[in-house]
Amino acid sequence: MVKNITIFTTNTCAYCAMVKKFLDMKGHSYDVVNLDEQPERQAEALALSGALTVPITVVTKQDESRQVVVGYNLAKLAPAVA
Amino acid sequence: MADTDEKKIHDVVMVGAGPAALTAAIYTTREDIDTLLFERGVVGGLAAITDMVDNYPGFPDGIEGLTLAENLRKQAERFGADIELGEVMKIIDEGKLKKLDTTSGDIYAKAVLVATGSDYKKIGVPGEQEYYARGVHYCATCDGAFYRDKRLVVVGGGNSAFQEAMFLTRFASHIDMLVRSTPKASDILQHDMEKYIKEGKVTLHLGTTTDEIVGENNQVTKVVGTKDGKKVEFPTDGVFVFVGLKPNTQFLEASGIELDEIGFVKTNMHLETSMKGVFAAGDVRSGATMQIASAAGEGATAALIIREFLEGRKTPQSEATEEVAPVPAA
Repeated sequence: MVKNITIFTTNTCAYCAMVKKFLDMKGHSYDVVNLDEQPERQAEALALSGALTVPITVVTKQDESRQVVVGYNLAKLAPAVA
Repeated sequence: MADTDEKKIHDVVMVGAGPAALTAAIYTTREDIDTLLFERGVVGGLAAITDMVDNYPGFPDGIEGLTLAENLRKQAERFGADIELGEVMKIIDEGKLKKLDTTSGDIYAKAVLVATGSDYKKIGVPGEQEYYARGVHYCATCDGAFYRDKRLVVVGGGNSAFQEAMFLTRFASHIDMLVRSTPKASDILQHDMEKYIKEGKVTLHLGTTTDEIVGENNQVTKVVGTKDGKKVEFPTDGVFVFVGLKPNTQFLEASGIELDEIGFVKTNMHLETSMKGVFAAGDVRSGATMQIASAAGEGATAALIIREFLEGRKTPQSEATEEVAPVPAA
């Protein structure tokens, strides 16, 4: 079971919009960290993902286990939030 | 959608949801043609990840690519287009019906429009794969924000390279542009770039190849190239690559649909592929001009042709005997 979801995004990222659209379709709520508005959190996104890219989707389960999905990758995102 | 023998049968399934398919869907749905679009990537395609679109008619001040894509999606959905997020792996010809092997299971259609567009090519040099998304990027609007006050290298000399390099100037302290031969970008983009060159934000390096992307401690540190037969190095924090397009047609290789030598879909002058009832439009089509406006135009044309096909009219393509061959864009 998903406890919460956080998406790291930017204003111009089309793939971020796709992640949101997918989560909306699946009925999930999520928090958004907009790196254009909070550039100080870039290091956090990098530490979580090891990647200098957005979207970064962090899925935390009820047991506090965490899965990080880099980019718009349905093959990984769909099972992560299932 | 009509259900027959538990098969999900759509009038038309469009593979892809970029400007060509979304425009086609606006036309088909307005005529009550049951339309399903499958998109494995971004709705809006490459247009959606383009910073600013200045050459799409009707927007005198230009329009952000993401906004244009959103508007196209909303317009298609307004008339009933159904966009499914998933992938089509194969199209199988079953006579009057086409079976599509998809991530959502088998789906049947009376007609199919292939409009999967293109993606940016890779350069194929050492370091490119190793530092993918950790210093090597193909989407400026996605990843540019990670390079505030950093040095960048942009590889490429076409429209995308020039346009995205100008976008990246809002973040980067300096950009070295490596152009293998001479710029192929449009005159207006080259003219616009002059401003950034004069300001010292961008340096153009013509006749310069990109040979290797080098890093240390998991970070890109420099690009090694060749100019006039001599090795040259460009210290950098990241590399953005825009060296042309490759068609998204891998799934068609297994479908038996004829492709050209580069992999684009061959069609006849009525946009029909070598598989009867399967049409192609937009950047994926052999002979396409790789313009959003052209893709939209081809999408509209394809929709009208598909309507006639579905109505069983005696149309040129239904009795076409000509060889399937590349044709100029509509």
